[in-house]
Amino acid sequence: MAATRADRVQRAGAGSGENPVADVLIVGSGASGSVAATRLAGAGFDVVCLEQGDWVHPADYMSATPEAELAWVQRWSPDPNARRSPADYPLTGDADIRPVMYNGVGGGLVQWAAMWQPMLASDFRVRSLDGVADDWPIGWADLAVPYAEVAHDMSVSGLAGDPALPDMDAYPNPPVSIGKIGEVAARGMDRLGWHWWPGANAIASRRHGALQACQRRGTCMTGCPENAKATPSLTHWPAALAAGARLVTGARVAEIPLDERGRALGAVFLDGDGAEHLQRASVVILAANAVGTARLLLLSRSARFPDGLANSSGLVGRRLMQHPYRTVTAVCEEPLDSWQGPWGQSIYSLEFAETHLDRDFVRGAKWMVMPHGGPMFAVAEYHEAHRHEGFEALWGENFHRAAAEVFGHSFTWGIQVEDLPEEHNRVVLDPDISDTSGLPTARIEYRLSENSRRMLDFNVARGVEAAEAAGATSTLVRDIWPTGVGHVLGTTRMGDDPATSVVDRWCRSHDVSNLYVIDGGVFVTGGSANPTATIMANALRVSEHMIETRATQEVPL
Amino acid sequence: MSAGGLAGSQRAVLACLADVLIAQGRGMPAASAVGVPGELIDRCLEVAPVLGAPLGALLDEPAADAPEEFVRQLAARRPDDFAVLSTAVVGAYYLSGEVRDLIGYPGQQPSPLSVAGEPDYLDMLERVYERHPGYREAP
Repeated sequence: MAATRADRVQRAGAGSGENPVADVLIVGSGASGSVAATRLAGAGFDVVCLEQGDWVHPADYMSATPEAELAWVQRWSPDPNARRSPADYPLTGDADIRPVMYNGVGGGLVQWAAMWQPMLASDFRVRSLDGVADDWPIGWADLAVPYAEVAHDMSVSGLAGDPALPDMDAYPNPPVSIGKIGEVAARGMDRLGWHWWPGANAIASRRHGALQACQRRGTCMTGCPENAKATPSLTHWPAALAAGARLVTGARVAEIPLDERGRALGAVFLDGDGAEHLQRASVVILAANAVGTARLLLLSRSARFPDGLANSSGLVGRRLMQHPYRTVTAVCEEPLDSWQGPWGQSIYSLEFAETHLDRDFVRGAKWMVMPHGGPMFAVAEYHEAHRHEGFEALWGENFHRAAAEVFGHSFTWGIQVEDLPEEHNRVVLDPDISDTSGLPTARIEYRLSENSRRMLDFNVARGVEAAEAAGATSTLVRDIWPTGVGHVLGTTRMGDDPATSVVDRWCRSHDVSNLYVIDGGVFVTGGSANPTATIMANALRVSEHMIETRATQEVPL
Repeated sequence: MSAGGLAGSQRAVLACLADVLIAQGRGMPAASAVGVPGELIDRCLEVAPVLGAPLGALLDEPAADAPEEFVRQLAARRPDDFAVLSTAVVGAYYLSGEVRDLIGYPGQQPSPLSVAGEPDYLDMLERVYERHPGYREAP
């Protein structure tokens, strides 16, 4: 099979004259790509980053308008299939949970809730401790320093000392106020004797770095107009660009071509007009999230790699993990002003995060308390929980019950569970549906495991108990969120054995010596923690290693 | 839907359908009473234009002349269409200043809090620390 697209671009003369050879080419400008670009450009590397979306500016957000909630319907929906931006690619397939994501400068960190949660020490040794899945080739200690560094760069606000986690450096800012919702929820946990801790968030509780102090507007996931929430366009890209990095927006990567020795040449990308370009580079880093990177590797077929680039293990795209998610909303009599933010995590609990032998599942869950947003969200929460009661109960005069009971008087325990890796859960190329550039899009094949389902059921039952202990007069229990929480992991796992992993412990491809993957795809197991802290810390760890080993790095002809 | 938004006849139908979903009661006004079929639906569709075409098509259906039955049938048998109608109506309803005042919602306004001083929960946190067995060591 010929690398026809790269050949065509090279024959047309695009490449060296148009785009000088970079030291490092990064695909994707989000959590991991922005860390690598900043660190590598700062160390003197000539860095080019290709981003299929565009810059997002605070003026683009609708969070300071009365229409803020409605913006979720389309323009600021986290679901690319609802948003339908030209920068997005549709996600197809009949999956139990379909991922959400954002494509633009900053990637998923444009719309994230900014919850900052290092993984547990045990998360890296699941096979050794619990006899399931696999151990990571690295451990908590390998990420301890990077965790602290990226927390500083992201202006995290939180409180160190949580006994459920290994010792950590203090966060750069004190916790954001846990608000009335956190105070009430914490009282419930206190009565039960269960673990809770003030939430750490990449939201500045006071002016820090590039961020302003949080104003508690509560619109974190549709963009913070005050610039109080960390996102790479604020926290990383200014420094990367100042150090000489070049960020090319509207650049959709179609293929990673190889030289005759099987080393990555760079990337072929299409601009907004559909014109093809070749950006050459000595080293290629994929940072396009676990769906986008797997898709790109599968698109990059060649005679050497007929099943997709760097896929001699057959694992590219497989072992997709998400964080299956349900909610328990506690409805209280006292006013909680629960539309107020921040919409990160007010408090969290790791009470049920570890395996217990007396339960019918392994591994565990992380819980976090959140507000409910405005009245549209409050009503939606009520309707989802009461949908089996029929039309009469929800509409007409009864429509007003939802707002009267829930709005401003509730808080939500979000419950996300560890999703163990299974090879049948995967990203594949859709044979029929393409993106706006004509490239086959990603089809998601994903079935929720029995272990995850049992874990959710157990934790939801405990969540109801926690709500009642907090004084809830009623609870609203939602089933599994079908569009997930945007945590995509595992499709290019790291490991020491090339037969059972895609990249090594330094996130370098076993098959292609100058190709790296640094997004959440490299996760061996998913833990139950929100993954951004670990993705960014690992990207920093790998970047430091690339700098240390630059003299021995193999490069293309 | 016309190029300039919903036609007058469509707005009249929308008023009836919207009141099936959100009727007057419990001290709250019906959807049509606060202007959902007017400026509010226009603001809603401007933010969520994806709703415009399917909503316009719904409002042109002959069966919409019997609003109660029509809306119930949508809810029972056409969930995607019902989602379009209910999202548009509920979204427009909560844009109303009158409605926001009645439910005590100021909007997603800034409400800064100082982080100076010690929070009130430190005693509870001390108890967490005292009772927790410590994190699970990994080999």
